[in-house]
Amino acid sequence: MEILNFNLFISALRLATPIALVALGETYSERAGVINVGVEGIALAGALSCAIVAYFSGSPALALIAAVAVGAALGALHAIWTVYLRADQVVSGTAINLLVMGFALFLTRVIWGWRGTSPSAPTMNAWILVGVGLFLIALSQVYIFHTPWGLRLRVVGEHPRAADTAGINVYRTRLFYTVLNGALCGLAGAFLFNNLGRFTDGMVGGRGFIGIAAMVVGNYRPLPALAAAYLFGFVDALQMRLQDYIPSQFSLMLPYILTVIVLAGFLGKAQVPKALGKPYIKEQG
Amino acid sequence: MKRWARELGPVAGAITLALGVGAIVTALTGYSVPAVFKQLALGAFGDWYQLAQTLTQATPILFTSLSFLIAFRAGLFNIGAEGQLYLGAFFAAWAGFTFKLPPVIHPIVCLLFGAAAGAVWGFIPGWLRAKRGANEFVTTMMLSYVAIYLTSWLVAPGGPYHGTQWANQTVRIATTAQFPRLLRGAQLSWGIIVGVLIAFIVWYLLFRTPRGYELRAVGQNPLAAEYGGINVTRNMILALTLAGALAGLGGAVEILGTHRRFIELFSPGYGWDGIAGGLIARAHPLGAILAAILMGALRAGGQAIDRAGVAPADLAAVIQGLVIFFVVAPELIRYFRRLVPRRARLGDTEL
Repeated sequence: MEILNFNLFISALRLATPIALVALGETYSERAGVINVGVEGIALAGALSCAIVAYFSGSPALALIAAVAVGAALGALHAIWTVYLRADQVVSGTAINLLVMGFALFLTRVIWGWRGTSPSAPTMNAWILVGVGLFLIALSQVYIFHTPWGLRLRVVGEHPRAADTAGINVYRTRLFYTVLNGALCGLAGAFLFNNLGRFTDGMVGGRGFIGIAAMVVGNYRPLPALAAAYLFGFVDALQMRLQDYIPSQFSLMLPYILTVIVLAGFLGKAQVPKALGKPYIKEQG
Repeated sequence: MKRWARELGPVAGAITLALGVGAIVTALTGYSVPAVFKQLALGAFGDWYQLAQTLTQATPILFTSLSFLIAFRAGLFNIGAEGQLYLGAFFAAWAGFTFKLPPVIHPIVCLLFGAAAGAVWGFIPGWLRAKRGANEFVTTMMLSYVAIYLTSWLVAPGGPYHGTQWANQTVRIATTAQFPRLLRGAQLSWGIIVGVLIAFIVWYLLFRTPRGYELRAVGQNPLAAEYGGINVTRNMILALTLAGALAGLGGAVEILGTHRRFIELFSPGYGWDGIAGGLIARAHPLGAILAAILMGALRAGGQAIDRAGVAPADLAAVIQGLVIFFVVAPELIRYFRRLVPRRARLGDTEL
């Protein structure tokens, strides 16, 4: 078949990038014990802030910084809500998703007068961000499993009480890695903007959730999560080419169906961090 | 009465806080705060017609709120109400234009079709969660996309139910299947009454039956429930199946009462509003009635501020997002409450 050519594998890598970045971020925060399902909304916020700054400053580099900063800020918000105020993690993440959706529709109307979309704005070559993503993933694989900081991160997610006893600040560690997760999701959003050249409110399109799925399938490890993200990116690239052969609605379903099948097939074997989702209360003896 | 106050107090606090932050956002983006809030209130509750608009928008949101909260009570997250709503809407419309049935029976059959379609779309992630351990908040979301694309294809050109040339929609449902309207000139239908009735049924199910007790026990502590002889697997599947059925019913009601045919992408996000509604209601079925009216008021009010030209309608969506955000952190409200008396005490010593 002519659609299975070299270009397909290349565009799969490109489409895998935002998913892999979200998966990496989620790997960090869940390793520290914090689930963040707000990654979908944070990536959207990253893409929007990237579009706004690129549009007004004309500088894609500045826009990239803005996307990462906004992502980090939303990560911090999630951390304050869940780590310090002990809100339910999934509920807080869901609230972030809804909040960002509201703001995205509102701000696009306020700034450009169009509901949910931006005009095209200056971009950088998205391949740079693909490279950055791959580098960060390789680096993280080493960081998490072969450095003392990585060990501290893992122990906070596995046994926060032990970490606390050993002098590790559980709250601050969780805050740090949730912020890092936010920053990486912001980067994913920046990629999506630079990939398309403008903002639309549907541009994340479930890739945040697929990123979580990739992390789960990758068993909370950056490199296997990348492999899973590549699989999703491949199907995404494939479905675009299939649109010439089958109704577009069916090809557009493929990544989502694949995610469900893969999650159903792979999970159960995953080694979930033991303290995942549980707020830590220091006072309890 | 006291218990009511305890439940409602923090929510009222969160709404006030959200309106306050919403006012700041309004001012920062250069809109007139008094004009916006005046139009918001008038658009939501200004006269009978506007009140009817609020309740019309609240109707599907009530169903999706119930959908979210019944799963939430069992410790599960149904993020996919939007897709379940679409499937329910389509199958209700299908039953509406396919069958020849007498009035009263016809809408009931349509509702059952809608509920069944939604139930299937809830059962799948429920089964996958209970038997395979697949994260239901990811799978419900993914299946939601699948349902929306599927229904889009059904009414798209080339699809089997492309009913009219000028739009992607089915033909009209039979008049025997339609819900009567409650107010001349407004879209408000019997749907809201069905919704309130269902809310009471869900309340009864959750709090007055052994089945509801089991669902809630699974939500509170699955291990303890299992130890106490409750079948956790079955209850998880049941909770998400019921959640799907409720969202599907919402879609069905929307078709029978408001649109009278299935239209591609007809929902402006009622599934998402249900998450908000369920959370704001603190997962209480009767609270969901109030929460849905709040969401409906924000939607109707939002449209009014847009019509009056004082600000974009989506400002209401921002306020909605803020309300949820403040509702989900009960500690935050407690923190503020602790601050207030402390400040008062400081004031005393100064005097």
